[in-house]
Amino acid sequence: MNGPTRSAYRVIVVGAGIVGLYTAYHLARAGAGPVLVVDRGFLSSGASGRNGGGVRQQWETRATVRLARESVAAYRRFGTEFGYNVWFRQSGYLFVAETEAELARLRGVHELVVSEGLPSEVLDAAAVARRVEGIAPGAVVGGTYLATDGTLYPFPAVWGLYEAVRALGVEVVLGVEVLGVEASAGRVAAVTTRSGRVEAPTVVNAAGGWSGELSGRAGLAVPNVATRHEIFATEPLKPFLDPMVVRASDGLYFSQTMRGEIVGGITLRDGAGVAGGMPSSPRFLREMSRALVRLVPRLGSVGVLRAWSGFYDDTPDGFPVIGEDPRCGGFVHANGFGGHGFMLAPAATLRVARAAMGEPIDLDPALVSPARFLSNDRPPSVERLQLG
Amino acid sequence: MAGAPERRFFFGRARRSARPGETLLDALARGGWPALQRSIRYHRPRGPFCGVGYCTGCLVRVNGRPNVRACRYVPTDGDRVATENSWPSPRFDVLGAIDFLFPHGIDTLHGFVRPRWATRAYHRVVRRLAGYGAAPEVGRTPPTPPPPPVRRTVDVAIVGGGVAGRAVAAHLAHGGAHPLVVDRALAPEPVAGGELLASTTVTFLPAPVGTGDHRFTLLGFEEPDRGVEVTARTVVLASGGYDAALLFGGNDRPGVVTADGAFALCGRDGRRPFRRAVVVGGGDRVGEVLDRFGDAVAAVVAPGGISPPVVRRASDEGIPLYPRSRIRSAAGRGRVRSLTLEPRGGGARFVLSCDAVVLAHRRLPTSQLLFQAGARMEWRGGPGAYYPVLAPSGETSVPGLYAVGDVAGILADANERAAERVAAAVLGAPASGEEPLPRVALEGPNELEGYYRELASLPRSGRWVACACEDVLLHEVEEAHARGYRGIEVIKRYTGVGTGLCQGRYCLPDALLVLSILEGRPAPEVGYITQRPPAVPTPLAAFAAMADSPTGPEGA
Ligand SMILES: Cc1cc2nc3c(=O)[nH]c(=O)nc-3n(C[C@H](O)[C@H](O)[C@H](O)COP(=O)(O)OP(=O)(O)OC[C@H]3O[C@@H](n4cnc5c(N)ncnc54)[C@H](O)[C@@H]3O)c2cc1C
Ligand code: FES
Repeated sequence: MNGPTRSAYRVIVVGAGIVGLYTAYHLARAGAGPVLVVDRGFLSSGASGRNGGGVRQQWETRATVRLARESVAAYRRFGTEFGYNVWFRQSGYLFVAETEAELARLRGVHELVVSEGLPSEVLDAAAVARRVEGIAPGAVVGGTYLATDGTLYPFPAVWGLYEAVRALGVEVVLGVEVLGVEASAGRVAAVTTRSGRVEAPTVVNAAGGWSGELSGRAGLAVPNVATRHEIFATEPLKPFLDPMVVRASDGLYFSQTMRGEIVGGITLRDGAGVAGGMPSSPRFLREMSRALVRLVPRLGSVGVLRAWSGFYDDTPDGFPVIGEDPRCGGFVHANGFGGHGFMLAPAATLRVARAAMGEPIDLDPALVSPARFLSNDRPPSVERLQLG
Repeated sequence: MAGAPERRFFFGRARRSARPGETLLDALARGGWPALQRSIRYHRPRGPFCGVGYCTGCLVRVNGRPNVRACRYVPTDGDRVATENSWPSPRFDVLGAIDFLFPHGIDTLHGFVRPRWATRAYHRVVRRLAGYGAAPEVGRTPPTPPPPPVRRTVDVAIVGGGVAGRAVAAHLAHGGAHPLVVDRALAPEPVAGGELLASTTVTFLPAPVGTGDHRFTLLGFEEPDRGVEVTARTVVLASGGYDAALLFGGNDRPGVVTADGAFALCGRDGRRPFRRAVVVGGGDRVGEVLDRFGDAVAAVVAPGGISPPVVRRASDEGIPLYPRSRIRSAAGRGRVRSLTLEPRGGGARFVLSCDAVVLAHRRLPTSQLLFQAGARMEWRGGPGAYYPVLAPSGETSVPGLYAVGDVAGILADANERAAERVAAAVLGAPASGEEPLPRVALEGPNELEGYYRELASLPRSGRWVACACEDVLLHEVEEAHARGYRGIEVIKRYTGVGTGLCQGRYCLPDALLVLSILEGRPAPEVGYITQRPPAVPTPLAAFAAMADSPTGPEGA
């Protein structure tokens, strides 16, 4: 029978995506005791196997810039640390603006990023055209570029972590759903699964787009909203595009992977919730194809190879949710990463692991703690650069 | 068409010509064996394989446009055709050295991680090797503005104008309907009683929403990149089947082709780019091959048995038969020159010299659109593939979506009856408690699975290519299994099997059998392979030309 081998663990992590596995890794390295990771799907079936692999440090708030910068360092050493090649290629993120107003906004980001010591540049239209060969004349007025941003291949990161945590003694059980979380006296006591009840004083909610559903099963209402985002890959071409290109106006983003495919998406306002599953829609294929061909007309004859979709786990203020839920001791959130959980995971989960062990963390609770949604105060800050 | 002028084009520096109605592959094959490609990772020589526009063996550059399939392109005067992904030519490619330098393959997952400074250098090299063709030329405006997309609203759309599709169309016409038949063939047979869109591939059939009058949307393209968008009340899928690939050493060599690939190479004018073909298989498909070019067949080899009609045919024509044989490896420098075999029960190895290996052992259903539309599928053990669950009327689990012919697994001699029933149901005739029609066997055992099980324990020689598009070797699949990864969905993501241009048509069916053996559980438990749209790579321009608010899932 496919199920956990023990009846009790020190920590149960729900979700074997990048966030859950990285959390388990930090826990195991810190000697937390028996750790179980449980996922109802197969490895990489969630957003961690469905994303664009973008890793950027250009953000509108210092807190996010710092988490991202720390994660960049982690992905740079991923190969030596885990023995898996994630093909992290630092060939830049290029945000492009169609209007002066958008460019002004990007300039603001640029100044913040520079003040954090990162070598961001502001580019005029000609400099953008040099980095995106074949861009339609007059399509952009300029942009910002950070050379140390980049892209990676998400799957090997999942494989590397999966093998590393197992080697450290973490149990990873796949194909088992967590149906409920039991609490007694205001503290987590156990989870119920399809293969029985498993006890633990600490449960980490790393369920990605389904984190709201899981919190709900624990009786904890949260404002997280799952939104479906679509993405496609084209047939592989010889390399011609280095940076990840993101357009400020509509969230069009695309990059060329190490395999030569152009992978990208665009922001469409779709209905929220996980109920509709993860299909692809004609509307996405149309809007994405149109936007890409208008910006880079030479790509019109290039074939779309496959389209798919996944869930962002969005929060009202654009910050993730990290830390223990004040309503239920031992229920630790590691979710709300929107469309950027992959690039923030290494640094963010270090804090998740500390929180799970009851240690203090060095992130501003007003920004990331689940407690922030329980008061009626206006959020002190909002991370709005939710693009690409 | 006698007297129609030839099309003159450049192939590299050479001047070549195509007769009216000929594809680029036809024109190139007239000059001998066409060497057009190299493989993506190891730069192994590759040639046309499938002949039906799915594989990567015939990709060329035409007028600055990459990845054009020679077997799907009709040349026009003045075309500039060039080979890509090889230097100086596909026959002698300097990078072909990679294949010799890495006899065990290149492990891109675990290689290149240490030391860190070297990783960056590796990255640069590997990146340069990626891709088939170079990006389309900049600033090259097409000679004429792109034609407006084809947009149609019809009552009944039939996908596939083969025997089954034409039969349904004829019955519908008889009942007063006027179906639209969409077919990928560049020059399909005419359709009696319906309208025909030729050279048109439907690549995306989203699951319908609601029960409105025109709830099906069929998206696709007419060659080379004209958008096609059809809305229909009823859809009949008659998309047929295709010849499967087979695992053996050197199974990717130029000259190893499917039956359809061989037909494409032979053209309609009786030319033969090979003289001594070894045909693999033992059933009806072998008979069709013998009909077309029996004079160029040196032997028939089958992993399993050979059917009595084929035995009779072959002995009449003096063609030697090797039933129940293990195919160990194909050899040759570049193109295949010989095939090494041994009897399955045990016995001495022997070598057949040949200049082509024609795969005619297994037909698989072209079922991508059924998966996309959300039709319930079931594993049929006999052929070892997924087929739709069907009502006796031929309707799938999606109301208004029917399947008929090979894609439905209907046996050939029941096709006519199936077409009649589907047409009656579409026309609204009341169902009359009919018996289900005879279909391919629901229960296994699958012959090929037994064959692979036997091979699993034997030593191998040569490259066993599990996925030709992405150059994934069979031992990589086995290593992924050994590391603890389970299920076809994970193995696909781990190894890259099934992520290339053929959309997994030629690799996933066999990978599923191999994994079922390794994991010790039935194939359907190893996985239900997600078929992501589009079914065939579809030009961005075609999708971009779609109407602003197609009826369909996202509606308003
Ligand atoms: C189209 C798209 C593009 C993206 N692009 C980028 C990008 O370029 N860069 C970037 O950094 N991020 C990107 N993201 C976001 C990123 O992929 C996610 O933020 C990240 O993968 C989240 O990881 P996770 O581990 O939290 O969630 P997931 O990977 O989704 O894992 C959650 C897991 O929890 C499991 N689960 C859920 N509920 C239960 C339950 N009750 N019981 C058991 N198991 C359960 C699920 O099966 C799933 O495997 C993108 C996302 C999408 C959809
Ligand atoms: S695509 Fe032309 S031979 Fe396969």
